[in-house]
Amino acid sequence: MAVTVKTFASASEAAGALSSDRTARYLGGGTLVMRALNEGDVSISTVVRAQDQALTRIDASAPRITLGAGVTFARVLAERDLAFLHAPARSIGGPAVRNMGTVGGNLFAPNPYGDFTVALLALDATVAVQGGFGSRDIPIEEFLQARERQAGTLVLSVSCTRPASSEAFRYRKIARIKPKGGSVMTLAAHLPISGGRIAGARIALGSMAPTQIRARAAERALEGRSLDAATIAAAASAAIEGTSPSDNALGSAWYRREVVGVHLRRLLSGQE
Amino acid sequence: MLELRKDIFADERDDNLNEIGKGTQRQDMLGHVTGTSSYFNDHKLQGMLHLKVVRSTQSHARIRRIDTTEAERSAGVRRIIRGADVPVNLNTLLSLINFGKDDEPSLAVDKVRYKGEPIVAIVADSEREAFEAVAKVKIDYEPLPAVFDVEDALKPGAPVVNETYPKNTFTYHETYDHQKLRFGDADAALATADHVLEQRYQMSPIEHAPTETNGAIAAPDTNGRYLVYTSTQALFFSVDTCAKILDVPSNTFHFIGGTVGGGFGGKVDTLTEPLAILGAMLTGRPVRYVFGREEEMQYGPPRGAERIYIKDGVMRDGRIVARKIRAYFDSGAYTRLSSYAAVKCAAHLPGPYTIPNVYGDVYCVFTNRTPATAMRGFGVTAMDFAIECQMDKLAHLVNMDPMEFRILNAYRDGDMKAHRREAKNTALIECVQVAAEKAKWPLREEFKRASSRKDGGGSRAVIPPTPTDSSRARPTAPAQQRTSYDRLPPTVTREPPREPPPPAPPPPPSPRPTAPSHGATRFSSVFGTRRR
Ligand SMILES: Cc1cc2nc3c(=O)[nH]c(=O)nc-3n(C[C@H](O)[C@H](O)[C@H](O)COP(=O)(O)OP(=O)(O)OC[C@H]3O[C@@H](n4cnc5c(N)ncnc54)[C@H](O)[C@@H]3O)c2cc1C
Repeated sequence: MAVTVKTFASASEAAGALSSDRTARYLGGGTLVMRALNEGDVSISTVVRAQDQALTRIDASAPRITLGAGVTFARVLAERDLAFLHAPARSIGGPAVRNMGTVGGNLFAPNPYGDFTVALLALDATVAVQGGFGSRDIPIEEFLQARERQAGTLVLSVSCTRPASSEAFRYRKIARIKPKGGSVMTLAAHLPISGGRIAGARIALGSMAPTQIRARAAERALEGRSLDAATIAAAASAAIEGTSPSDNALGSAWYRREVVGVHLRRLLSGQE
Repeated sequence: MLELRKDIFADERDDNLNEIGKGTQRQDMLGHVTGTSSYFNDHKLQGMLHLKVVRSTQSHARIRRIDTTEAERSAGVRRIIRGADVPVNLNTLLSLINFGKDDEPSLAVDKVRYKGEPIVAIVADSEREAFEAVAKVKIDYEPLPAVFDVEDALKPGAPVVNETYPKNTFTYHETYDHQKLRFGDADAALATADHVLEQRYQMSPIEHAPTETNGAIAAPDTNGRYLVYTSTQALFFSVDTCAKILDVPSNTFHFIGGTVGGGFGGKVDTLTEPLAILGAMLTGRPVRYVFGREEEMQYGPPRGAERIYIKDGVMRDGRIVARKIRAYFDSGAYTRLSSYAAVKCAAHLPGPYTIPNVYGDVYCVFTNRTPATAMRGFGVTAMDFAIECQMDKLAHLVNMDPMEFRILNAYRDGDMKAHRREAKNTALIECVQVAAEKAKWPLREEFKRASSRKDGGGSRAVIPPTPTDSSRARPTAPAQQRTSYDRLPPTVTREPPREPPPPAPPPPPSPRPTAPSHGATRFSSVFGTRRR
């Protein structure tokens, strides 16, 4: 069977086509979909595209920002109002991948990819999806947990609240090849401070489990405390809890478990 | 910037050569920089079919059954090719020059020996249809124990990877399981050395990562001939290999190549042409067979991984008095070119240094990994890396500057090399001096004044008495093995003194002169092989 490409003017038509055909795959930037097709992935028979302007919209002026699923990392990097997302966007691939790869596609990128999603997870983002029966908003954590079952739903956009200060949001990607290798692990931390104490800590990890996960034990160690050496040490030693990394060519599960605390300590203490 | 130091060795060089020493532009450079070079894959022929391969999912397994019935019925499929369809389904590249036995099938028949080994080829109207049919082939495997480590593969009872070489080692000169170098009495010298340092070096396989993946397009031509556009790096090797595998005279083929989109050694093996041509023979249509990127990375041959042990004896004044080397080349499941790499390695021991006692064993070992092949300087690169790391460590051990330490031990003209040839036109000292100058690395005056043409020969030209292996017990496993030199203080051991070395045995018979023979000349000086 040859591959059919279906292009729709509206996102909802595309969503309909996607949900009615098990062999259909949505084409974002295509950095992963086209690779799969070229390498002979015969599970894809239909490629669905949408030309809906809404998918490429950026709304960055309000405290709560929204990025269309089709926004590329190059566009995120060109937007001054999105400075807090520049580090994660810049950490993805080389220029060619950043020019094509989209925020929506990143939500589906398997290990060792999905770096931008780690940042979004630490920012408690919301994912707007459209299935066969209309659209709804899902918290990103819930979205990721059910990622394997998301086939057939179209992501329209993601939104999150802008961090209060540049100090409050931190991101670090550990790669063996710089600047553009797959991730050994990726860490993001959102640390809102209220009255000198952390309130609502979020730590997200990439490549430490089948999908991006929150390091809840580390979050608990930070919650309600000031970011001092003792708190950082407690969070670092709790980082490993709940992780289930696997071996790949970039690092072994053992190595990832050994170093996750080290990298979290460095991230939290602002060390290079 | 290129700088030729023509003042050094001016009297030894003929500067009237047409090309050497001159800046000559490569003939394909203009095409490359203007983007007009045409590569094999730029040829889209009318009615072209596409070939894809079913590959083993197992590292080592007996094939119980291959079921292609569903694939045969799949849309667009023109032909399914099995091992039995390949006229001569066993080959190795260097058997063309009588070096090594044929050991690798084009399509596996009864057994697979590495993950990714080709088993069935499918020719279809489109790539997509070929992929769909590939997904429908069912193969029933009986998994066998596999071995992935060179030293494990040599242990008694290890799984036999490749029945052509039941001991998991390549056979040299139809007799030996490794390449050997013996010069002086390394064990005796180690026993009297001030310091002994043994280290283990482990290399990784390295992917050549060419921009253009391996591939070929074969098309029926007039008069029963076949036109083949190919990415090969070794066009005539490739023509001859195809003629042998397909059992036709080599003038059946018109190969067009020469423009290679990156090779570095990864395109010498003639992997795609035989099946592309066979596909064209069986369908009467042009057939294109190109590796995907994943195939290239996983199933295209990498540089073999080498494991190298070096044990050196060095005196307090910095002279290296003994060097023992054991090296294992991981050939993967088939020979390809690692056997030759091991020969080159043995020819390169002990590096460019004058050492009076040298002992080297180099093994080419079969494991259930992707067959390894040539890659820029193979056989020498890894050994050089190991030797030069070792030189730095030795310099550190005797508290010497590493540059000066190299100058002290470097070959000088007139010295005897461990291969029993007098060193001529040596230039390491001058190279180190120039490198030090460029790096603004201070050398002491006596080392600045050293020259590869002074102080050589004399006692340094003597072939020392060399005990044969049979006159003593086989060496045992290394006494100490360390890998993290930087974390631990250097290990220094003194072995118990030994009996004085036995009297010199009669000199070994000089190798039989090899008859000059067509095709074998390039390698015969190293291999000493004869045409059968
Ligand atoms: C060489 C290379 C380097 C890379 N480096 C990195 C890296 O460093 N970090 C990193 O995170 N990633 C990396 N990636 C992975 C990938 O490029 C990015 O994650 C990118 O964000 C994927 O976006 P895309 O739009 O190209 O996805 P596509 O390939 O278009 O799609 C990927 C998957 O997401 C689905 N999808 C896409 N958009 C939607 C949507 N709106 N709704 C529903 N499903 C959708 C597709 O159907 C498909 O299953 C790299 C990829 C390559 C090829």
